[in-house]
Amino acid sequence: MDAAPDYLDAKLAQARSGERSALTALVQAHQRSVYSLALRMLGTRDLAEDLTQDVFMHMSANLGAIASNTHLRFWLRRVTSNRAIDQLRHRSRLPMSSFEDQSELFSAEDPADPLLQRHLRALLAHLSPPARAVLLLRYQEDLDPMDIARTLDMPINTVKSHLKRSLQIMREEATRMPSEPCQDSST
Amino acid sequence: MNEDVESKLRDALRPVEPRAEFSRKLLARTLSTQAAPSKKPKVSRGAARPLVGWFSASLAACLLVAVGIQQQLHQQRLRATGLEARREVEQALRVTSQKLNLAFEAIKSQSTAPSDEKSGV
Repeated sequence: MDAAPDYLDAKLAQARSGERSALTALVQAHQRSVYSLALRMLGTRDLAEDLTQDVFMHMSANLGAIASNTHLRFWLRRVTSNRAIDQLRHRSRLPMSSFEDQSELFSAEDPADPLLQRHLRALLAHLSPPARAVLLLRYQEDLDPMDIARTLDMPINTVKSHLKRSLQIMREEATRMPSEPCQDSST
Repeated sequence: MNEDVESKLRDALRPVEPRAEFSRKLLARTLSTQAAPSKKPKVSRGAARPLVGWFSASLAACLLVAVGIQQQLHQQRLRATGLEARREVEQALRVTSQKLNLAFEAIKSQSTAPSDEKSGV
């Protein structure tokens, strides 16, 4: 999935000296992660695409301040999460119903499990923006709580309590809606 | 139970690919905002430093030569003026000396003439 770190470190150095093909390689290596984070934070494709574009343009202008590919990955996650949280906070009413329309929010590994997708939509809709970011960094980006705390500049205990609460909501949703998929499939 | 929920979350939250059309636009926009290659300014800055050094050194040397020439010309003019003045003073002294000699001779001849007349009468 990911290119070798050494290869991307070399590409970063080349991109810093203005090589366009190197910048292309960096964008291609990281766009999936940034876009997915933006999409699941904001809930709509249009907003996610706008945010992804902003983040990469910002990255392009600040390549000189980025030391390595590991730093770049951390930087992209941090900027994407923080900007998404800011957008959600500034918008008085997030159109939560938009989560319902976006089947692409979730990976299509198990398309036969609409119940799981329903639970996830409900979970994302329940969570505050910071809690949503914590959940996505944990289960989408596979970061441990300490890295999440550093990425979001958040106390480790807050990260742990967000994760605990998210799992609790997920379990509640799982026990609440066992029969609904049958109703859905009939409609 | 927890592990089951977590693995389901991981499965469902795998990163998704953006649309191909958006990927193309994203690349185009990102490349268009790419900072200008840092090579050029660095190279030109590096090359400009010796050039500026040479230019300022040659400018300083030219100024020194010009000031030196100017001072030499000024001293030559002063020396020539001094020599001219000295010649004029010497000439004036010579003329004055000749005039005095003439006057002395005239006085001397006048003072000797009456005594001769007295002795002759």
